[in-house]
Amino acid sequence: MFGPFLSPLWGDVNDGLWFPQDASTFAGEVDSTFNMILWICIAFFIPIVIALAWFAIKYHQPKGGKATSRVRHNNVLEISWSVFPAFVLVIMFVRGSWGYLDQREPPTGAAEVNVQAFKWDWSMDYGNGIVSPELHAVVNQPTRLVMRSTDVIHSLYVPAFRIKRDVVPGRYNVIWFEATVASEKVSQAELDEALKDAEENHGGDFDPERYGFTRQGYTYFDLYCAEYCGRDHSQMQTVVVVHETQEDFEAWLAAANVKPEGMTDEEYGRQLYQTRGCQSCHSIDGTRLVGPSFAGLFGTTHALESGEQVTVDENYVRESILDPRAKIVAGYQAVMPSYKGQLTDEQINSLVAFIKSLNGD
Amino acid sequence: MATSATHAGYAADNYLNHSRGLASWLFTLDHKRIGVMYLIGILTSFLVGGLLAMAIRAHLMAPDGALPLTNDQYNQVFTLHGAIMVFLFIIPSVPAALGNFLVPVMLGAKDVAFPRMNLGSFYLWCFGALFLVGALLSSGLDTGWTFYTPYSTTTDTSVVLATFGAFVLGFSSIFTGLNFIVTINTMRPPGMTWFRMPLFLWATYATSIIQVLATPVLGITLLLLIAERTMHIGIFDPEYNGDPVTYQHFFWFYSHPAVYIMILPGFGIISELISVHSHKGIFGYRFIAYSSIAIALLGFLVWGHHMFTSGMSNLTTIVFSALTFSVSIPSAIKVFNWLATMYKGSISLTTPMCYALSFLFLFTIGGLTGLFLGTLNTDLHLHDTYFIVSHFHYVMMGGTVVAFVGGLFHWWPKMFGRMYNEFWGRISAAIVFIGFNLTFFPQFILGSRGMPRRYATYDVEFQGLHQMSSIGAFLLGFGLLVAGLTLLHALFKGKLAPSNPWGGATLEWHCSSPPPHYNFAHAPVVGDPYEFDHIDYDRSIDGYVFTSPPREVLPKTPQAEPATAKDSHS
Ligand code: HEC
Ligand SMILES: [Cu+2]
Ligand SMILES: [Cu+2]
Repeated sequence: MFGPFLSPLWGDVNDGLWFPQDASTFAGEVDSTFNMILWICIAFFIPIVIALAWFAIKYHQPKGGKATSRVRHNNVLEISWSVFPAFVLVIMFVRGSWGYLDQREPPTGAAEVNVQAFKWDWSMDYGNGIVSPELHAVVNQPTRLVMRSTDVIHSLYVPAFRIKRDVVPGRYNVIWFEATVASEKVSQAELDEALKDAEENHGGDFDPERYGFTRQGYTYFDLYCAEYCGRDHSQMQTVVVVHETQEDFEAWLAAANVKPEGMTDEEYGRQLYQTRGCQSCHSIDGTRLVGPSFAGLFGTTHALESGEQVTVDENYVRESILDPRAKIVAGYQAVMPSYKGQLTDEQINSLVAFIKSLNGD
Repeated sequence: MATSATHAGYAADNYLNHSRGLASWLFTLDHKRIGVMYLIGILTSFLVGGLLAMAIRAHLMAPDGALPLTNDQYNQVFTLHGAIMVFLFIIPSVPAALGNFLVPVMLGAKDVAFPRMNLGSFYLWCFGALFLVGALLSSGLDTGWTFYTPYSTTTDTSVVLATFGAFVLGFSSIFTGLNFIVTINTMRPPGMTWFRMPLFLWATYATSIIQVLATPVLGITLLLLIAERTMHIGIFDPEYNGDPVTYQHFFWFYSHPAVYIMILPGFGIISELISVHSHKGIFGYRFIAYSSIAIALLGFLVWGHHMFTSGMSNLTTIVFSALTFSVSIPSAIKVFNWLATMYKGSISLTTPMCYALSFLFLFTIGGLTGLFLGTLNTDLHLHDTYFIVSHFHYVMMGGTVVAFVGGLFHWWPKMFGRMYNEFWGRISAAIVFIGFNLTFFPQFILGSRGMPRRYATYDVEFQGLHQMSSIGAFLLGFGLLVAGLTLLHALFKGKLAPSNPWGGATLEWHCSSPPPHYNFAHAPVVGDPYEFDHIDYDRSIDGYVFTSPPREVLPKTPQAEPATAKDSHS
C-alpha cells in the first residue's frame, strides 16, 4: 500500500533522502552542516528512546508496587548533562554562523540582476532594458541579486542553491549565489513536441513544471516565493536557468526581449500575457479576478473610480500598463504594478494587439 | 481530616452539584467551575481548529488541491486553523482550563486570589472568540496567524475584527497570569515553601510571568496594526514610510515567549505525570524548577530567530542564533530529569503515562529539530518550509497537546469523579502517537527537500510525502476522537472515582473526587509533593490511600533544605 508513497523517499537516489539537487557552492556546506546536526541528534535521540522504552518495560509493575530507588538528586550527573550539551551546541553555532557569513558577502565582480517581486510573479532586470520573469545565470560565476518588492513581503528561495532571503517592500535585500551545475538543453524534437502540446491542450500556456524544461528547452531549478503573500503565493514560482557559457547566456539575453521570428503580434502578446504575470490578475474568458477581464474589453467605455468615463483604446491600454495608477477602473483596487521600464515598445504593442484580438469574433 | 473524609470516592456534595441551574454556572466565582467552562470553550475551539486541519490535509492530497477550494479559501482555512489553535486553544489550554481547576487545589486553598477577575478572564475569552468568529463570518481572514504587514494592512479581509479579537484574548491571558502569580505568592499554605511546591505550580508560575510581561506587547502591536490599517499612521506599511520588519520585531517579541506560554505548562503536567505514575519522586526537582524560570526569562531574548531571512544585520542575526541555542539547554535538562525519574520507579502504564511517554518521544524530536533552525546556514534553507511546520507541530502538538490530553486523563477522575475505560484510553494514546508521526515526520523531509509552507498547491514531486502526511493526519484525528469519546463516555457511564486513583502525593489527591465546593474542610497537611512511601494501593476501592500522615501536622519551622532537594539514598 505504501509503494507509491515511499517512492519519493528513495526516488532521487543521487540526492539522498533529505535534499533536493545540490547545485550551488553553498549547498555542500549547508548539507554537511545539516548532516552533522542530524547525526548529533540521532546520537542523543537513540539513547533517550532506548532508555524510555527499556525503563517503561523493565520497571513496569502492577498497581501498588513500590519504587526500588529513592534517589532524587545527583549533582555531578545533573551538572554534567547540563554542561556537556553546551559544547555540542557551540560547534553548531560556530559552523552555522560561518556558513551564514559566507552567504552574506557577495564577491566583487559578481554579475548583477535586479529582482522585483510582486503579487504573484517575479521580474528579473538584467540591465539595458532586458527584463524577464526567469532568472538566468552562468555556471561557476557569482551572481548577485538586488531585490525589492512593490507590494507585500515575498521571499526568494531556490532550494537547489540552499538560498533564501525575504524581499521586503521599502528595502533592498541582497543575496548571491554561484551555480555549480548548468542546465541542460533538451533536443529540438522534444521541445517541439512540448510546444505543440502546450498549444493544443493547454491554450498556449507553457508550464515548465509539466515538461521539466523551459520554453527555450532548458532544464531548470525551481525558484519559489517562500513568504506568504496572498492568493497565488503557491504559484509565485519561476525557473532558474544556468547557462554553460557566457556566450550562451548572452545569446539568451539578446533574444529575451525580442519577438521571436515568425510570431505574430497577437501570439507574442499572448505569450507575454502568460509569462509576465498579467494572467494572474486578468482573465481572458470574462471571469473577474483581481483585475477586470480582457474579454471583450477593447473599445468599450466604462467608468473610472474618479467618476469619469473612459474608452478603452490603444493609448488607454498603454497607459494602463505603464502607469496603472493614473486611471483606476471603478470597482477595482489600485494594485496593478507598473510595467514601466520592464516592457519594450514592441512588447506593449503586442499586448495591445493581443487584447484587441480578444474582442469577440 | 481531609484524607479520612474521602475513604472511597465520589463525594455526594461536590462543586458540580453544590448549586444548580445555568445561572449558578454563568455567575460562579468558583475556580473549578470556571475551569470547567474554560475547558468546554477550549475543547470546542480545538474541535473547530482540528476540523480545519483535516480540511487542509485533505486538500493537499493532490498537487492542485483535492477539495474544491480556491486558493483564497485555502488561505483562509490555514489562517483560521492557526489563529484558532494558537489564540483560542493552546495559549489558554493548560493554564486557563487545567490550571484554574488545579492551582488552588494543589495549594490547599479555597480559590484563586481574585475570583471575580478569574470569571472576567473567562468572559473576555468568550468575547475575543466572538470577534475571531465574527471575522470568519464577515469576510474571512487570510493573513496567516502572524498578521504580517503590509499584507495585513492591504488585504480586504476582516483583519481589524480578528486582531481586535486577539487583543481582547490577550487581556484574558493577562488576567489569568496575574491571578496565578498573586495566588501562588500569597496563598501557599503554611509549610509549603517554594521548593515544596508541585512542579506544575512552578511551571504555571513561570508561564504567568511571561503572560503578564509579554502579552501587553502583543496588545500594543495589534493596536498599532489596527491604527495603521485604518488611519495609516505610518509605522508598519512602507507605503506610508513604515517598515514591515518593525512589525515582525514587535510581533515576535510577544510570540516567541508565547511559545513558552504554550509549552511550559505542558512541562509542568509531564513532571507530575511521570513522577506519579512511576511512583517515584521527581529527579532533580530544583533543576526542573529553575529551568522553567530560565526558559521564561531567556525566552524573551530570542525572538529574532524568526527573522533570520528578513534582513537584520549580520551581527544581530548571529547574536540571536547564539541566544537561541542557550534556551535549548533548560529543555534538554528536563528531558534527562524525566528519564531519570522513571529509572527504578514502579511504572504503571496507565493512559496518562502512555501520553507522557509519547510526549517524551515527540517533544525530544521537536526540540532536537530546533537545532537545525537555530543554526544559521541550515536555517536559510529551512526557514518558511514544511520543516518549520513540522518542527513546531512536534513541539506544540506533540508536546503541549499530548501533555494536555495526558493531563486531562490524569485529572479527569478528579474533575468529574468518574473513571474512564483504561483500554480505550491507551488505544487512543497509541493511535495518536502513530498518527502524529505519520503526519509530521514526512513534513521534515518535505521541508528539507524545499517545499515552502502555506502553499495551496504544490509541485508533483512532493505528492507522495504529502499524501503520507494527510493519511497520518486522518489517523491522528481519529485517535483524538477516540480519546474524546472515552472521556465523554466516562462522564455518563464511568465507575465512581476514588479520591486518589493513581497514587499521587500532591494536595489535590487529598480531597474527594470531585472536590467539594470549598475544596478542603480543613487546611490540609502539607507534605513532600513527591514522597510516595506512605501511599498504598487499596484493591477494594481500586485506588490509593495515605497510610500514615506523611509528616507531622505542621512543621514548626520549614526545613531550610527541603526533602525534595536532599540526596536521600544514603
Ligand atoms: C496584481 C494584479 C495585476 C497584474 C499582475 C496586472 N494587472 Fe492589470 N489591472 C489590475 C487591476 C486591479 C486593474 C483595475 C484597476 C486599475 O485600473 O488599476 C487593472 C487594470 C488593467 C487595465 C485596464 C482595464 C480596464 O478595464 O480599463 C489594463 C489594460 C491592464 N490592467 C493590463 C494589464 C497587463 C497588460 C498586465 C501584464 C503585463 C497586467 N495588467 C498585470 C491588476 C493587475
Ligand atoms: Cu509569496
Ligand atoms: Cu521563536
